[in-house]
Amino acid sequence: MSTIQPVRRKSPWPAWARRGLMENIATAIIAIGFLMLFQPIALSLYTYSFITMLTGTVMFIIVSKFPE
Amino acid sequence: MSLTTAHSVVAPSSNAKLIAGTIIIAYALISIVPLLWIFATSFKTPPDSIAYPPKIVFQPSIEGYCNLFTTRTRQTPEYINSLGPATGVCDATVRKRNMVIAGPSNFLPRFVNSLIIAFGSTFCAVFLGTLSAYGFSRFKVPLADDLLFFILSTRFMPPIAVAIPIYLMYREIGLSDTALGMILLYTAVNVSLAVWLLKGFIDEIPREYEEAAMIDGYTRLQAFWRTVLPQATTGIAATAIFCLIFAWNEYAFAALLTSGTAQTAPPFIPTIIGEGGQDWPAVAAGTTIFLVPILVFTILLRKQLLRGITFGAVRK
Amino acid sequence: MLNRTADNVARATPEPLAKKIRGISDKGLAWLFISPTILLLLAINIFPLFWAIYLSFTNYRANRPNDVVKNLGFANYKRILGDQDIWIAMQTTAHFVFWTILLQTVIGFTLAWLIDRKFRGHAFWTTIILVPMMLSPAVVGNFWRFLYEPQIGLFSYVVSFVTGIPPTNVQMLSNVEMAPWAIIIVDTWMWTPYVMLICLAGLRSIPEYIYEAAEVDRASNWRQFWSITLPMALPFIMLAVLFRGIENFKMFDMVNLLTGGGPGSTTEVASITLKRQAFESWRTGYSSAFAIILFVAVFGLANIYVKALNKVKQR
Repeated sequence: MSTIQPVRRKSPWPAWARRGLMENIATAIIAIGFLMLFQPIALSLYTYSFITMLTGTVMFIIVSKFPE
Repeated sequence: MSLTTAHSVVAPSSNAKLIAGTIIIAYALISIVPLLWIFATSFKTPPDSIAYPPKIVFQPSIEGYCNLFTTRTRQTPEYINSLGPATGVCDATVRKRNMVIAGPSNFLPRFVNSLIIAFGSTFCAVFLGTLSAYGFSRFKVPLADDLLFFILSTRFMPPIAVAIPIYLMYREIGLSDTALGMILLYTAVNVSLAVWLLKGFIDEIPREYEEAAMIDGYTRLQAFWRTVLPQATTGIAATAIFCLIFAWNEYAFAALLTSGTAQTAPPFIPTIIGEGGQDWPAVAAGTTIFLVPILVFTILLRKQLLRGITFGAVRK
Repeated sequence: MLNRTADNVARATPEPLAKKIRGISDKGLAWLFISPTILLLLAINIFPLFWAIYLSFTNYRANRPNDVVKNLGFANYKRILGDQDIWIAMQTTAHFVFWTILLQTVIGFTLAWLIDRKFRGHAFWTTIILVPMMLSPAVVGNFWRFLYEPQIGLFSYVVSFVTGIPPTNVQMLSNVEMAPWAIIIVDTWMWTPYVMLICLAGLRSIPEYIYEAAEVDRASNWRQFWSITLPMALPFIMLAVLFRGIENFKMFDMVNLLTGGGPGSTTEVASITLKRQAFESWRTGYSSAFAIILFVAVFGLANIYVKALNKVKQR
């Protein structure tokens, strides 16, 4: 689905971009997208729920390629 | 496991067991009531089925089953008396309601459609699934995790969302309302489950068997046929039953993409109507006939059920 | 015996084919085995998906195939994401998903915990409890309409018997207040066993020695439950919750047969709206855009589900 390959560098992969952490962030974004989709408070939040979920999903696919 | 003896410090007390057992049995009995009610209703007469208060004790009748398999027309008593003696139990039953049997209903052809489509798609899904599962289990496939995720993700697509383009596609290539079209569609949905489940089963077969066979001079393919397939029989059977149950139960695609010749039983059963509304005994009869195979399969499958509903991830 | 069946199979394989395949490398064989599945999924799932993406940018209508197709850009998406009615359909879906998951998790986990007390005959009763989830939601959902009939339906009768409400007033499906709960009850009845079965696996995966250690430390039963049982079963509970969440987010069959979205649009969950737009109003382009939005939502959840699946697998 995604064309991004696991990057093999000699230099250590930055600690903040480890797979576990980034996957949790992506999961949180997807969850926020769902809350925006489902909430009954503001129409504008609903409007932007789709782009939030899309961002989270794409991010999830990309970061799942990062090293542990 | 052997620790759950009376000596174990964590074994539940007999009192706790009694309370737990009572609650579970109560829940089981309550949750089974709707199914027993379907079964009971299928043997009621239409007036009995809509009596108030609902009848628990009643005179059993096969009128529901008669109505399920036939279409009937209302006639005058004089006309019915002018006919010869009733030709069967159903004939006699419907004549009591001033009706005569006009012909067979659509239930049997719809039921046969369900059989053809369910078995056809199950065979294709298990065939493709076994091959793919073996491929993923034994060989180093590039991007294997991505491919497996891709295969599984197709199962999560909302059926209505898939049905829109499939409807257009089938209309273009002439597969609308055909058994072949439905078999292809159900195969595509089921193959994801088949691959994941069978991969789990094949992973459990030791590679040594094939390696021994290959040392004996068999090719990889022969080793697959001779050692892996016989070992995987239980897994293949369990997978087949899961695919069969899905295809048998499926409603959304069937309701949107079939209307006549290829319609299966699930969209048909709710359309069974009698005079003045739904003919509930006939609906119940159709439902009963439709559910019995699933009940049998559930009992056969009970040890594999957990595996099936978690795509092979949880095995015990 | 194994060898004899194997010989029969070998003899049944046509000679020229066997010879041809004999020369294939393992890598070739792997692709030979995997590609039919991939091709089928590409043809039946991915190609239609891309077609739907294309249609979502147009004003195509399936009932007027000869009309000129206009490119609308993102107009369909903008309309759906600004549409008050679709937003309300989403809230209906949210209400349905929230309550079904809450009820199924609480009841399912409790049942699993009780079954794990291992009383006599627990295997038999577990099988009985599991039966509803194997049945066709459409066919059984249809029959629940009969159970919900005011007065003559068994459900209404029992409710009026217990609560004393006149039986003609127990109108589950035609009452605006009650209809959403009617579908929640049927879904909970049907899928609680599913959650229960997975929770049971979670409870059984907790090794006995942890409890024994807690027992030595004199931890109370209450404390053991909160600090051992629940945390260790949590990945399994998450798995069940995510799967039910995905399934109920796209719920169609049962709701369509029970209420068809009615009365009015009180039970019109997202899939029902989609079906009405696509197959009744025939706004194919518009509904394709809606389908893509739903698909992205489900796909996001599916990613998380597979992550949860792998977490459980390591146990």
